[in-house]
Amino acid sequence: MTAPATRRVARPAVPVVRVGPLAWRVLGVVGLLLAWEALARLNAGSYVLAGPVAVAIHGVEHAGLLGRALRATLVNAAWGFLWGNLAAIGLAAVILLVPRLERLLVALALLVFCLPLVATGPILRVAYGPGDGPQIVLAALAVYYTTLLALLVGLRAVPRSWLDLVESYGRGAGAQLLHVRAMAALPYLAAGLQIAAPAAILGAMVGEFTGAERGLGVLTIRATRALDVDATWTIALLAAGMAMAAYWAFGALLRRVASDPPALLLAPPGPALRRGRRRGAAGAAVMILVALALWQGGMDALGLNSYFAKRPGDVLTFLVTGPEAASHRATLLAAYAETLAYTLPGYLAGLALGAGLACAITLAPGLAAVAMPVAVALRSVPIVTTAPLLVLALGRGSVGTITIVAVMIFFPTLVACLQGLRQAPGDVIDIFASYATGRWRTLVLARVPAMLPAFFAAARMGVPAAILAVTTAEWLATGRGIGSLMALTASTSDYNMLWSAITLVALTAALAHTLVARIERAVLRVYGPEQLAR
Amino acid sequence: MAPDGPPSATGRAVSCTDLVKVFDASGDPVQAVGPLDATFAAGHTTALVGPSGCGKSSLLRMIAGLERPSAGTIRIGAETPRDLTRRAALAMAFQDAALLPWRSVRSNVALGLSLARQPPDAARIERLIGLVGLAGFNDRRPAELSGGMRQRAAIARCLVSAPELLLLDEPFGAVDELTRRRLNRDLPALWQGTTAILVTHSVVEAAMLADRVLVLSPRPATIMAEIDIPLPRPRDEDDAALRDRIAAIAAALRDSGPDRVLAAQ
Repeated sequence: MTAPATRRVARPAVPVVRVGPLAWRVLGVVGLLLAWEALARLNAGSYVLAGPVAVAIHGVEHAGLLGRALRATLVNAAWGFLWGNLAAIGLAAVILLVPRLERLLVALALLVFCLPLVATGPILRVAYGPGDGPQIVLAALAVYYTTLLALLVGLRAVPRSWLDLVESYGRGAGAQLLHVRAMAALPYLAAGLQIAAPAAILGAMVGEFTGAERGLGVLTIRATRALDVDATWTIALLAAGMAMAAYWAFGALLRRVASDPPALLLAPPGPALRRGRRRGAAGAAVMILVALALWQGGMDALGLNSYFAKRPGDVLTFLVTGPEAASHRATLLAAYAETLAYTLPGYLAGLALGAGLACAITLAPGLAAVAMPVAVALRSVPIVTTAPLLVLALGRGSVGTITIVAVMIFFPTLVACLQGLRQAPGDVIDIFASYATGRWRTLVLARVPAMLPAFFAAARMGVPAAILAVTTAEWLATGRGIGSLMALTASTSDYNMLWSAITLVALTAALAHTLVARIERAVLRVYGPEQLAR
Repeated sequence: MAPDGPPSATGRAVSCTDLVKVFDASGDPVQAVGPLDATFAAGHTTALVGPSGCGKSSLLRMIAGLERPSAGTIRIGAETPRDLTRRAALAMAFQDAALLPWRSVRSNVALGLSLARQPPDAARIERLIGLVGLAGFNDRRPAELSGGMRQRAAIARCLVSAPELLLLDEPFGAVDELTRRRLNRDLPALWQGTTAILVTHSVVEAAMLADRVLVLSPRPATIMAEIDIPLPRPRDEDDAALRDRIAAIAAALRDSGPDRVLAAQ
């Protein structure tokens, strides 16, 4: 008989107030609310924090307005979610049936994912007019890439013998997809949808920022401009709550589909490792050409007005060959430098803090029980919904922007690194334990190497996330950098500058992503060669 | 054929001529098989025994049409492996059973029919599940079955399409010793009359299941010895005549490469 079990049986002679886990949770929530209210009261008049009472009052007073806005946002998010995921499924099917296209299609998908929503939003607004189109398109753009990556991992996470089985009956790739891969990928699809659900809400809200008629995004803009702290907090909490609810709902679906949900790293490090540098460069050149051709051809095919839908040639004239190209470049690069100065520290701080806290939690496992649920919950909250709060709290200077970027990166990194740290093989940990190796050395020698693949996956996915965070913050709040430049040029119809900025940002994101992937490969070649095998 | 007898009684002879397989994935070519000549008699079970990594699985995969030979030919009757797979006339059992976890036993067996483009036949599926001793487990998922039961279901899936050629790649390699003994005793009767080729590294299993045993050399695989096992079935592992055959196979294996014997057992 083990000790805890005996103790539990032996004790009831003494009457003890039994506090169950549910009661603890309730107490925790009540305590948190009290602390929040107290903090709000202490800071009253500083226009930073609205307490739970104020939020509740605002919520009740404006229930009708908030309800209508919420419904509008959710409907658009749902449509975007549907279209984005259908696009991802279609792309994944094409890649599976024509594997040669994989590198090109995944790279293009990444490039499109890296387009700053802040700029594509206003352009879509011009193209669509005042309707719901931009919100839906942006929601779709925000979800399709992660779902595509999840599907690509899932469709391949199939034992060789299952595929051999189908092949041994003389059946081809189609039958493998139908009988084996589609079902095997379901848990991965569900995991991808879970990540996509909050992202769709985020995309819809950014779409609403661009001048929609209703929705939570519209209310956010209004409240931020009016410095209405109660409204800002209420809307942010409502949006965050919706995102969390969507995340949990799809989590429940995931648990129904898979008894053992896959630990989804997203962004597999890709094949093509044995290629020489020259072929890599050739591949990149082909990709850029295809992207330019799609840009030009797509706009021509859709017959988009060249007043707002600038072609590659327009951007070239504007930035390089035109009469005032030098001054255009100067304006653009100044804003760009400012943005980089916010983004890099935030990005690196987010990564370092996420990985660091994950390690700390592993050293003191008691911490995990507290930190993990909070981290998982907060990871699901799209940062855009909380950006106005951070700006309220930290001001419109560099600290606020850097913090927003760092927070955006921090939570996914923390969750991924905790998953990674747990991947350390039990046997190895046991061997370390059998030599009475200290926790610190075990962490450094066994767990951190096991964490690296997850860390780098987070670092790569963090690139577009950081750009989204910084441009949104600059646009909504700080009025500096390239995000603000894009907002300004969108409102003054300076579409040449806008498209130049989009090109620069997308290229930067793709390059940064490639750079991180390079570092990742160099590191994983030493610490995790099995991750590169596929 | 008795009404409860094995569902298939037609087999084809298999012949390999000058067969060579070279793997060249990493720019460092490795010759896995050959040059190898072998014939597998129609309607008989032949076991391929050899040290680990000797290329016996590659040989089986070439016969299954899953790998292309680098040189030489394989004929099954007058056909190539691809011809046979195109007609869905062969079936293969894998070491890990390869049951799809989201399908029930019945549905996994039914997959053998549907992959072979044969019409669904509920009565036949039921009968095969009964024959492999899984009656009453029709609706269970693979995760609810023991390792031995999973292999029984996989064998039922192989046999349901009445293949002309049955390929077994260490099908009982991952089950425990007692279960393995029982499977070796019960299952061969089900494919009697079908040409079957079995890959194994267990000398005992080869002697229990096969009419003839081919002993392969270390890589690249060539045939070192042929040992006939003309014993009636069901066989008993403790039977003196079988023990004698087992010793003969083990001796041939030992001669094939002294430093590989440990790996082979």
